[in-house]
Amino acid sequence: MDFSAILSQFPDLYTLAGQFFVGMSRAMILFVVAAGLTVVMGVLRIVNFTHGTFYMLGAFIAFSVAQWLGGSSGFWLALLIAPLIVAALSFVVESTLMRRIYDQPRLMQLLLTYALVLAFNDLIKIVWGVHYKSMANPIPGSISLGGATLPSYNLILLAAGPLVALGLWFFMSRTMMGKLCRATATDREMVDALGINSKQVFASVFVLGCYLAGLGGTLIAPTTNIVIGMGMGIIINAILVVVVGGLGNVWGALVVSFIFGIGESFGVLFAPRFALVFPFLIAATLLMIRPSGLMKSVW
Amino acid sequence: MKMKRNWLILRGLALLLVLLIGFSLVGGCAKPAPPQDQSKGAEKPVETVKVGVIDCYTGAATTYTYDALDGFKLALEEIKEEGTLGFNIEFVTRDDEFSPDKSLNWAKELVMREEVDLLAGIINSAAALGVSQYAKEEKVPFLVWGSMSDKITGEAGHRYVFSMLPNTAIIGRSGAIQMSSMPYTKYFLAGSDYEYGHSVVNNFWENFTEMKPDATKVGELWWPVREPDFTPHISTIRAAKPEVVIVGTGGADMVPFLKAVNSTGLNKEVKIWVHTATDLSTLKPLGAEAPEGIFGTNPYHHYFPDTPENKTFVEAFKKAYGRAPAAFALNGYIAGHSIAGALRKLDTFDKEKFIDALEGLTIDSPVGPVTIREYDHQIISPMFFGTTVKSDEPFLVAGDIVTLSGKDVIPPVEKIQAKRK
Repeated sequence: MDFSAILSQFPDLYTLAGQFFVGMSRAMILFVVAAGLTVVMGVLRIVNFTHGTFYMLGAFIAFSVAQWLGGSSGFWLALLIAPLIVAALSFVVESTLMRRIYDQPRLMQLLLTYALVLAFNDLIKIVWGVHYKSMANPIPGSISLGGATLPSYNLILLAAGPLVALGLWFFMSRTMMGKLCRATATDREMVDALGINSKQVFASVFVLGCYLAGLGGTLIAPTTNIVIGMGMGIIINAILVVVVGGLGNVWGALVVSFIFGIGESFGVLFAPRFALVFPFLIAATLLMIRPSGLMKSVW
Repeated sequence: MKMKRNWLILRGLALLLVLLIGFSLVGGCAKPAPPQDQSKGAEKPVETVKVGVIDCYTGAATTYTYDALDGFKLALEEIKEEGTLGFNIEFVTRDDEFSPDKSLNWAKELVMREEVDLLAGIINSAAALGVSQYAKEEKVPFLVWGSMSDKITGEAGHRYVFSMLPNTAIIGRSGAIQMSSMPYTKYFLAGSDYEYGHSVVNNFWENFTEMKPDATKVGELWWPVREPDFTPHISTIRAAKPEVVIVGTGGADMVPFLKAVNSTGLNKEVKIWVHTATDLSTLKPLGAEAPEGIFGTNPYHHYFPDTPENKTFVEAFKKAYGRAPAAFALNGYIAGHSIAGALRKLDTFDKEKFIDALEGLTIDSPVGPVTIREYDHQIISPMFFGTTVKSDEPFLVAGDIVTLSGKDVIPPVEKIQAKRK
């Protein structure tokens, strides 16, 4: 082995810094999606496979909104509108279907959420056709961070994560509805006993979770192919994040998203062959150390 | 209480069932209806040759598959209009959704129930190889116009399979021929971690190191198919400090990869070669976000070669489908005319005689005369090497196009013989 060759291949500090930011922006998307999922799983106690579908719908709707408006301003409006449309759709799904399965055995819940995944895939085929879509990047080009280059768009992702985290924190600890959510998550019977309309709480939590899924889809849309099945890739990682971070724990989701995103991006840098395995290795290790999740699980 | 609960479950299940049936019905209708009964209206009874087309008509590969199908349909229209062929060519389509299992099932269905005379299509390499094996067992001619795997007419080649488009051996060799005259020495090999990606890059490197022994490999990177974000991979490439990056990627990964190249500015630091980076089906969806200065090889451009034959084809395609043809349209078009060309040599249809007629057949095409090589059934057609440049259109096009003749880019027969041993 030629050691100087290996040394010369070892990335310099700029590359490491660049890769760190890339990993962070990856983590942010994962966090936005996983935060929605963890809230839904924590409060509603259903394993919601449809979450990935709402993520995909967010991307498709963002594409259509941006195309309809045209120009570079299209994306920014899509960022506002698309997640709201997804949220509205999720409200319909909640009030017609989801509502009926909260008390059902877990198998029933899986059946419904997975059936919805298939149904929505076909729906997307009908509405958007079978071709993949590509959306214009609202801020093309890249910025230089002391030698490392980072796509300018990643800055939006880097900003979005903390905003969502702050927003969720505010909602959960400062608003009545948020407090009810937390209460329902920790002790549902007590909340019911106090005469609070838990139906309403459930509906708003589901809609909030799906809003976040739609937001994640909208955020990823300009950087990737918008294609049927894109939700399946993220839902696996998101469920892992939720389980490892502690079910229903938003901060747990944030921490684990970071670990995953950065683990993955450095994995690609040092051992690209095994990059795919890194999140699962991390998840397995963390679960061995803390079987009930990194942070307190509400289940 | 219990009864009410059971009733609720029942109602939920019923609703689910109705929903699923509803969606699958609507979904079923939305699938491309196979055009049928093209023989209707024929005055005297002429023999009908039925082609069973299997391809991925839903999913990421559809950008290519519909182009190929439309090229094929256009060829059949032209043949029908001309009216001198003593046969009717009919076809049915089946959607394999990029799944090798489904392709094989459809192939069996088409041969046994639809009783097709020929099989065609298939962009998925694993699927094409599977169906090729089946075609060999059933002795049904199979014209591949989607998959570029060099195994099809290479080590897995046989009497019943034909490749109607340049395969990865030709692609790799084309890139190597043109790039060996460039002064660079440090190369990075990268691509999607599947058959096509590895095959293109390996073929390139094998040919290239023969032509340019001083070339060194500074790194290698294979990303999973459908990678959602390429920026971490690009940092890895950058960290190895290559002069040239050789990329084997396509289908779902091509557009996001080039998007990431553009947003990270990698194309400004190093030279990058990607097969079909200069193709319309890549550059059109990228729009203004396509990176400039990317080297690409491509079997066809609708604006090059600037010949009357090509112009006629482009006009006819635009008139029929309202868009310019991309590279895959040529594959289907050549396949259609090759079938007709072989049929012209026959009085009645016979699969074995049809194969004999296809072997060595030369037809005129929009890129000039193309020949099906007798030994391995691989089409010999030219390759165009170009660089992405800005154009008057809202997307980039290929500039500085160099034509590599089909005879130069196809590996010699001896190499195929060596592989089959």
